[in-house]
Amino acid sequence: MTAATRVSSATPRRPGADRPGLSTLRLLRLELRHNAMAWLLPVVFVLFWLVTYRKTMAMPPLWNVRAAGLQVGVAADFSVPVTGAAAWMGSREARRRVTDQVTITARSRWARLLVAWAATAIWAMLAYLGCLAVLYGVTAHQATWGGPLWWPAAVAAASVLVFCALGFVVGAFLPSRFTAPLVAIAVFFVLALSTEPIHGGHSVFQVSPIVTGPWDLGAQPGVATFYPFQPDLSVAQVMFLAGLSVALLGVLALPAGSAGRAMRAVAAGCAIAGLLAAGTAVGLTGTGTMDAAGMIDIPALHDAATGRPLEFTPVCSRTVIPVCLNPAYATYLPATASALAPLLSELAGLPGAPARIDQEPVAYKQGADNSVAFLLHEPAVSGTPPAFGLVLPVQLGYPAMTAAQQANQVVTTYGPDLVADVIGDGHGATQAQNAVATGLMIAAGLRRLDTYYVPSAQPASARPLPATPGGPDPGRSPGVAPGTPAYDAAERFAALPPAARHAWLVRNLAALRAGRLTLAQLP
Amino acid sequence: MTGARLARVAGGGAAPGTAHAGAAPVTWVRLVRLYAAGRRVPVAVLAMAACAAGLRIALLWHWDAYGALQLPLIFETAAAASVVATTADPFGEPERVAGRWLPFLRLAATAALTAAAIALLVAAGTGGHLAGGTLDVLRNVAGITGIGLLCAAALGAGLSWTVPTGYLIVAVYALYTQWHPPALSTPWLWPARPPHDLGGGLCAALAFAAGLAVITVRGARQRAGEAD
Repeated sequence: MTAATRVSSATPRRPGADRPGLSTLRLLRLELRHNAMAWLLPVVFVLFWLVTYRKTMAMPPLWNVRAAGLQVGVAADFSVPVTGAAAWMGSREARRRVTDQVTITARSRWARLLVAWAATAIWAMLAYLGCLAVLYGVTAHQATWGGPLWWPAAVAAASVLVFCALGFVVGAFLPSRFTAPLVAIAVFFVLALSTEPIHGGHSVFQVSPIVTGPWDLGAQPGVATFYPFQPDLSVAQVMFLAGLSVALLGVLALPAGSAGRAMRAVAAGCAIAGLLAAGTAVGLTGTGTMDAAGMIDIPALHDAATGRPLEFTPVCSRTVIPVCLNPAYATYLPATASALAPLLSELAGLPGAPARIDQEPVAYKQGADNSVAFLLHEPAVSGTPPAFGLVLPVQLGYPAMTAAQQANQVVTTYGPDLVADVIGDGHGATQAQNAVATGLMIAAGLRRLDTYYVPSAQPASARPLPATPGGPDPGRSPGVAPGTPAYDAAERFAALPPAARHAWLVRNLAALRAGRLTLAQLP
Repeated sequence: MTGARLARVAGGGAAPGTAHAGAAPVTWVRLVRLYAAGRRVPVAVLAMAACAAGLRIALLWHWDAYGALQLPLIFETAAAASVVATTADPFGEPERVAGRWLPFLRLAATAALTAAAIALLVAAGTGGHLAGGTLDVLRNVAGITGIGLLCAAALGAGLSWTVPTGYLIVAVYALYTQWHPPALSTPWLWPARPPHDLGGGLCAALAFAAGLAVITVRGARQRAGEAD
C-alpha cells in the first residue's frame, strides 16, 4: 500500500456519495422542507375555494361541466402563486448570494436547480391533487351518471407544471426582488387575455389551458352526455404544456458552467424537442373544428370510433306517458315528470298521443366569429313506438335554474307543441281544433296564450319564431283570444269532467283532426 | 447593496464626518439617494414605467368588456407590487438601530412611489379607453399597495407580493361575477365596485393608510439573507 492510497482511504466519505440516488432524495427532502410553495398553499386553497369551487359546485352535477370548471379554475388560481413561488425559488441562490459557494458542490448547477424545481412542483401538485380530489369527490357523490373526465384534469396538472417551470426559469435568469411578482402577474395577464384573439373553431389560441371547448360556448351541460367526451383539444393542450415545460427546464442547463458538456447537449436536445412538441400542438390546434356534439375535433388526434352516440339506459317516470331522460340528468326527472303529468293525463290513450317523452341531444353549429347555434329538432310525435322529443333548458346552457324552474320551462315550451301535435292544431287548423287545444291546456293548468318559446334556441326548421323573444307564440291558435266564441268553447271544454272530456276526444279526435268538426259541435 | 458598499459610497473618499460637518441639504440628498439605491427604487420606477407603457400599448387593442375591465387592474397590481418590493431592507438590524430617519424615509419613499405609480398609469390611460378612469386607478393602486405593505410587515418584503397577487385573482373573478351572478359585491373587493363607490373607496383608503402606517413604524419584517 502506497502513501497515496493510505491517504485516500483515510479521507472521510461523504454520506451518500456511493449512492447518488439516495443523496438526490436527501437533497429533494431538504428542498421540500425549505420551499416557498409550501407557505403559499393557504393562498392557493383560499383562491381555489373562493374562485373555482363555489362556482363549479353551483353548476349542474355533470362530469363535463365540473371537469371544465376544474381545468379553467385551476389554471387561473394556480398561475400566480405557483409562478411566483417558482420564481422565488429559482432566484434563491442569487438572492442569498450563495452562487459562488454552491458552484463548488458536487452537483452541477442544472441538477441542483432541477431538484429545487421538482420540490416546488411537488408542493404545487400536492395542492392541485387535493383540490382535484375534493372537487371530483363531491361530484362523484352528486352525479347520477358517468365518471370522472381525466383529460381536463391532466391539462390542469400540466398547467401547474408549466407555471412552475416558467417561473423557475425566469427567476433563475433574472434574480431580483421584482421578478417573482412581475413574472406571476405577467403569466396571469397572458393567461387571462389569451382568449381574446380566438375567432372561430380553428384558432390556435385554443391551446390555452383556460379553453375547454369552443370559445363562447363555455362549459355546456348539454355536451358529453349523449356523445362521448372528445379529448382532442385536451391532448393538444397537454402536448403543448408538457413540451413547453421540458423546453424551459432544458434551457436552465444552457448557460456555460451549468452542467457538463454531455448534459448540456442532452438539455439542449430536450429544449428543442419540447419546443417542437409545443409547436406541433399549436399547429394541430389550428386544424380543429367544432363538431355537432359541441366539442373540438382535431383530425390528427381524433378517434372516429368515439364519435358514436353513447349507449345508456334512460331513467323514466311512472306517469301515464313515461318521461324518459338521459341518466346524467336524472335529478331533473321528478320535477319535470310532475310538471308534465297533468298534460300527459289529458293526452294518454288518445290516437296519435306519444307512448313516451324522450330527452333529445342538442346539436351545435359554429356560427360567424365565435357564435354557436343550438340546433333543435321540430317538436313532434314520431317513431315507433311514437315518442315526443324534448330538450331540457339546462342543455341549452341557461343560467342556473332550480329543477322546478326547469320543469316549468319545459312545460311552457313543449306543452303547446305536444297538444297541437295530437289535436292537429296550428297553421290552417279549424277553430274547433284551436278551441280543443286551448281547452286541454286550460284543463292541464296551462293557459294557452301564456306559453312561451325558448328565447335563444335556434330551431332547425323554418318554424316561425315569436315576434319578441320570450313572448307568446303567434303561430298557434291565432283566433283563440278571450271573448271570442272559440275561447268560450275552449273554456266549456276545459270545464268538462276529465273522464267525459277524454271519452269525447277518443270518439271524435279523428274527425277533429280531419277538420270536420265545428265549434258548435264541441261539447 | 452590501453594508460595505454603502459605507464606501457614503464616505465618497472624504474624511469621516465631513459630510455631516458640511451642508446639511447635501447630507439629506445623499441619504435619500442611498436609501433609494438600497431599496432598488430606480428599478421600481422602471418597472412602473414598463407597466404604464404596457397599459398604453394594451389600450390600443380592441378588448371585449371582460378584457377592458380586467386589463387595467392587472397593470395596477403590477405597479403596486413594484412599490411594495422596495420595502425590502438590505441591511437589517444595523440600519434599524443606527438610522433614526428610517421611518420618515420609508414613509416618504412609499408615498412617493405610490403617487408615481398612479401618475404613470393615469398618464398612460390619458386619451385611451381606460375603464374606470383616474379614480379607479387611484383607488386600486392605493388599496393594493396597502395590502402589499401589510403583507410585507407580516411576511417580509420578499413574500409581500403573495397576497396582492392573490387579491388580483379574486378581484378579477369579482369583476367576472358582475356578468355571471351571484356577484361578489363586498366593498373589500373594491376593483369590482364602480369608481365613485364610497364603500370601495373607503376600504381601499383604509388598507393603504394601515399599510403605510405599519410600514412607516415597523418596516418590513426582516428575514435572514433574503434581500437582493
